[in-house]
Amino acid sequence: MIEYQEATKRYGAGTPALDRLTLEVPAGETCVLVGPSGGGKTTALKMVNRLVEPTSGRVLIDGRDVAAGDPVELRRGIGYVIQQVGLFPHLDVAANVATVPRLLGWDRRRIDSRVDELLDLVGLDPAIYRRRRPDELSGGQRQRVGVARALAADPPILLMDEPFGAVDPVTRGRLQEEFLRLQGQLRRTVVLVTHDIDEALRLGDHLAVLAAGGRLEQYGTPAEVLARPATPFVADFVGAGRTLRRLDLLSAADALATGAGPATEGPAVDPGATLAEVMGALLTSDAPAVRVAADGSVMGWVTLDSIRAALRVEDAAQGAEERP
Amino acid sequence: MRRAPRLLLTPVLLTGAAVGVVLWAHSGAAGAEVGVLATGRLAARLREHVALCAVSTGLAVAVAVPAGVAATRRTLRRLAPPLLFLANVGQSVPTIAVLALAFSVTGIGFRTAVVGLWAYSLLPVLRNTVAGLAGVEVAVVEAARGMGMSPAQVLRRVELPLAWPVILAGIRTAAVVNVGTAALATFVGAGGLGELITVGLDNQRDRILYTGAALTALLALAVDWAIGTLGAVVRETAASGTDSGRP
Repeated sequence: MIEYQEATKRYGAGTPALDRLTLEVPAGETCVLVGPSGGGKTTALKMVNRLVEPTSGRVLIDGRDVAAGDPVELRRGIGYVIQQVGLFPHLDVAANVATVPRLLGWDRRRIDSRVDELLDLVGLDPAIYRRRRPDELSGGQRQRVGVARALAADPPILLMDEPFGAVDPVTRGRLQEEFLRLQGQLRRTVVLVTHDIDEALRLGDHLAVLAAGGRLEQYGTPAEVLARPATPFVADFVGAGRTLRRLDLLSAADALATGAGPATEGPAVDPGATLAEVMGALLTSDAPAVRVAADGSVMGWVTLDSIRAALRVEDAAQGAEERP
Repeated sequence: MRRAPRLLLTPVLLTGAAVGVVLWAHSGAAGAEVGVLATGRLAARLREHVALCAVSTGLAVAVAVPAGVAATRRTLRRLAPPLLFLANVGQSVPTIAVLALAFSVTGIGFRTAVVGLWAYSLLPVLRNTVAGLAGVEVAVVEAARGMGMSPAQVLRRVELPLAWPVILAGIRTAAVVNVGTAALATFVGAGGLGELITVGLDNQRDRILYTGAALTALLALAVDWAIGTLGAVVRETAASGTDSGRP
């Protein structure tokens, strides 16, 4: 678990880069720091591995102040994926991935097998890519090597600073998918920085929305942030399409209406389909309802009314959570 | 090594040219020329010349590379401008004046010449060390720090390897220029190939003059080739992941 306690960073006088940030990232979950530039996202991220030292306040990992020990030791236990990837251009892929294990003094055999394992994990064939140099890789491949390098020594914590920022939208989407798959498998405590709200909603278990001046505007799950923006800033940042975005977070099963079916049978969808997909199916067919079917048997229907009801149910649930 | 034949082309050509020069020098030598141009005497001048260049360039590297490293450390960054100024002074004062100044301190001979050449070659090495290290991408250095390299490890494993081509270019410049400048060492009694040139000039013996000049030029080319090759070899061994970066 990572805890920020009133963590503040000032560079000279004037508005702070990060203003009394207090939040907790539970172990094994992904916290996305999101906001416009100047919001102190990267500053907050770098406080965890002490590339930035707080002016006041502190950061704890599993209850221990990070400032207590040796920063070099601390960093070897934290995976770090940097904005422009930062692969070492003079070393091949294998040597890049092996950076931290080498610092930790692993033996050659263990390092070699770990490198192959990690390249497999991020979807790069070791036989092909081990000996490649960073300048012989595409942007997406470099990002993958960056992730493999960060995971090399199996750190419980992963810091990712705009990890998918430098690639085209298609590659970006694929890398995000892979991240979700990896994180589902590995369950690391991840702090990820992005300025892209869609990426934040997609990847985060928790969102910390930071505004200029390093103020935390809201901390909550993607569903909470979409359903109940805490401040006008958050509402504005999340954007006018936030209701539509909420549909991405709910599935057909959440809006299932049972009982008598509609007069006209619409197209069929899987219960795991997002409500956004269902909505698309509804809009492009003449039918008033979409059939939800699993293994050939119809489970029920989704209609516009049942979608509205699902959103209302969720609103109520969020409201109940917020009231102590 | 598929590249071996090409790699050896330059040294073979240079050696051939040197043998040709010596043969030409011997072919028509007459009177006093015979003694001055004897193979043993030429070899002695060449040895003196090589020693002057090697020692002065070596000392310049030993001083300027650490100074350049120091000047690019975050805490010592303010050192860079005065250091570069000093090195600029060393290079902009004419060599002959540096030699004269050194002469007044260390007297006549090898040491004086080395001091002069050393002062003259500091700047290219220092300037390129600073430029090379400053040119290393910030993201790469930050990644290295963020992954838990100590400052010394960042320098040794990341900064110096990446700055190496630029630093080596500075060393190459300094060494090649030194070969030419060392021809002046004869004025402080340090011998070298320059002695042939001055003896030839003073006695209007063109054969001696040309021999000295040609050998100096060939030596400069040889030094240029040797350092260039060294750089390529070091880069290649450093690049293969298995040979580098062990603790």
